[in-house]
Amino acid sequence: MAAAEAAGMIAIGAGLAVGLAGIGTGLAQKDIGAAAVGAITEDPKMLGKALMFMVLPETIVIFGLVIAILALFTL
Amino acid sequence: MFLPESMSRIVIVGANSCIDETIEALYALENIHLIDHTVDADEGFTLGTPRPYSPKTAERLLKVRAMEKDLGINKHTKTNPISESEIRSQITSDSVESVESEVRAVLDKRNDLNQRITELNAKKKNLELLARLPIDLDLYAGYKSITSVVGTVEKDPTQALGGMGETFVSMDKKAGSIVAVFVKNEDRSQAQNILSEYGFSEIQVPEGTGSVTAALQAVDSELAVVTKELAVVEQETGVLFEKHKHFLRATDEELTYDAEKGTLPVRIATTQYSFVIDAWVPSNQVLEVKQTLEKKISAVYVEVEEEKRGRRESEADKQEDRFKTVPTKMKHGKTTKLFEYPTKMMSIPKYNEVDPTVLIAIFLPLFFGFMVGDVGYAIPFIILGAYGLKFAKNPDWRAIATVLFFGGIWAFIFGFFFFGEALGMHFVGHIEEGAVTYTWAALLGLDNLDKFFGMFLMNGHGVGKIDPEYVGMLLRLSVYVGVVHLGIGYVTAIYNKSVQYGFKHGFLEKGGPFLSFVGVVIVGYAIAFFLIMKAFTVDEMLPILIVGIVVLAIGSVLVVREEGAMKVIVDLPDTFGIILSYTRLVAIGMSKAGMALAFNYIAIGMIAGVDPLHGGSAGIVMVILGFVVFCVLHLMIWTLAILSGGLHALRLQLVEFMIRFYEGDGTEFNPLKIKHVKTISNINTKEA
Repeated sequence: MAAAEAAGMIAIGAGLAVGLAGIGTGLAQKDIGAAAVGAITEDPKMLGKALMFMVLPETIVIFGLVIAILALFTL
Repeated sequence: MFLPESMSRIVIVGANSCIDETIEALYALENIHLIDHTVDADEGFTLGTPRPYSPKTAERLLKVRAMEKDLGINKHTKTNPISESEIRSQITSDSVESVESEVRAVLDKRNDLNQRITELNAKKKNLELLARLPIDLDLYAGYKSITSVVGTVEKDPTQALGGMGETFVSMDKKAGSIVAVFVKNEDRSQAQNILSEYGFSEIQVPEGTGSVTAALQAVDSELAVVTKELAVVEQETGVLFEKHKHFLRATDEELTYDAEKGTLPVRIATTQYSFVIDAWVPSNQVLEVKQTLEKKISAVYVEVEEEKRGRRESEADKQEDRFKTVPTKMKHGKTTKLFEYPTKMMSIPKYNEVDPTVLIAIFLPLFFGFMVGDVGYAIPFIILGAYGLKFAKNPDWRAIATVLFFGGIWAFIFGFFFFGEALGMHFVGHIEEGAVTYTWAALLGLDNLDKFFGMFLMNGHGVGKIDPEYVGMLLRLSVYVGVVHLGIGYVTAIYNKSVQYGFKHGFLEKGGPFLSFVGVVIVGYAIAFFLIMKAFTVDEMLPILIVGIVVLAIGSVLVVREEGAMKVIVDLPDTFGIILSYTRLVAIGMSKAGMALAFNYIAIGMIAGVDPLHGGSAGIVMVILGFVVFCVLHLMIWTLAILSGGLHALRLQLVEFMIRFYEGDGTEFNPLKIKHVKTISNINTKEA
């Protein structure tokens, strides 16, 4: 019972790590995305650079994922 | 390979009489990067004036461009190139002028007709309004003491006008309301004032006699005639378009270069009788340039000012301002050249820094391939990439095709030899009851695959991307890859500064970040293996930790000396961050493998009902349906792989890697040369 409870807590923790980091990424990408669309409207050649900036905050969610993996799997 | 091509600076001196010949020769050489002369740079020299033929060329170019615009010819129009000598003889025999008069005649007619149609339409609109009033056209004017005020209104003004005069109104919300008021001459402005409150806007009553309806009919029939004429003229324009498009595009190109050549003297230094041109030439071509120019033109002398410009900043500091910046000519083979695009996306490298293109060419496809790591996705990538490289012209598409092709090859290698996977399923492996895994061997009933793949795949079935057994190993692997990649970046930074200022300066400036990085790696290694992996005891960990801290401390001292204590505080957590950032190599792969696992279960297990353990399926119809769903879902993952795999692989180069050392902001080597697109270069004239 205790073991199952512990496993459940770990799962919740892992979920929170990915989920909250995802929210952080989303908040950052929301602003960048809006600015990027604006820039692309003015000059379609900016698409490449704009996409580049769009993926910058995705590092945050990857940190969350790493923590989740550390929690879930024994390395 | 790593540094841009060496450059030499030459001075070309010649008599003004042979300047045209010299300009032609410079364009033919195709490796002269002109240095603009600045006013007052040298005493006794002034900027040159355009060649005498320039105004005529500019005028012709203007005519050609105007015709292209009117005929709707642009750079996307498909035309056949014409040989340069032919185009040149046509230009000198005034073909531009004769074509212009031919085109102009038709275009003027077209403009007149278009204008006439606009006028008629306006007249028609007025007549349609007037047709609703019971007044003939000739009754609106020609009185001695009364005048008419006619126009459109928004509200009915009859009441307000009262007994001022005779008022005729026709109200219609949709088609517009019209009012005609007949008042005494002296009441005209008063009537207009009253009407203005009702949204009045005056219209011109067309001259004429008889009923408005008859006039309307006359306008309609004229409009029909003019429209028909316009159609004929449009057809003629189409004929002209076809007839002259080749000539116009080719002439445009030829004249554009002529204009450029004609104004070249404005960029160089001249005296009354001579000219002086400063230029950069790739060092290995200096002798050839000198010999060719001096042999071809008798009154020209070429002096090599700088045999080979060194990479040290001190060498540049000694020079005049306009000679300080050396243009960058990237030096690459055919394959590496394809990867210049991402470098240029950041910036052009400086003359004295490492051109990261080669490093990008190695790591970009490698990372992309590792993230995809699946034979089933790799093969379409390779095919699409090869197709793009063969046929695509647009540099953006070519860059994408490059990554897809080389990345696809790596994806195949990783997918086949490391992960042992195609479309999210292992080739071979042990299927467990209740676990949602399928293998190609089980699905296709090929039992003897085991032996073949067992020869090289880890544990006989390859590494599972989301298998708990391997996740830790993959994570560690990605961190190690990151450490190596970043290490190369830090060392390159030291190398760059050594090239520019000498090794001592280079190490003092960029050695600090490098040592801090090494320190962080060692400390991180000790802590991670002690706390997370539990592979070390305290006694084993401590010496490693101490070494790490010492290295980190030395690095930090160097950084503090160079950039202050704040930099250390900011950079330390950042270093952990950029190393962990490389775990995306696994994370992206995992996310795709996770999706593939779920999709395979939906298509194969739920819809087709295939049971690899006991055999059997849900019938042929469901199997076909399952197959269709399978294809659609995997196409989705494949498309996502381009975006996420490509962008993240690129991002690791541009952000994590290049920021360590790359400064950029160089000037691209831009030689005088003619890019023949719509004309065919004439070798004979070149040699003459």
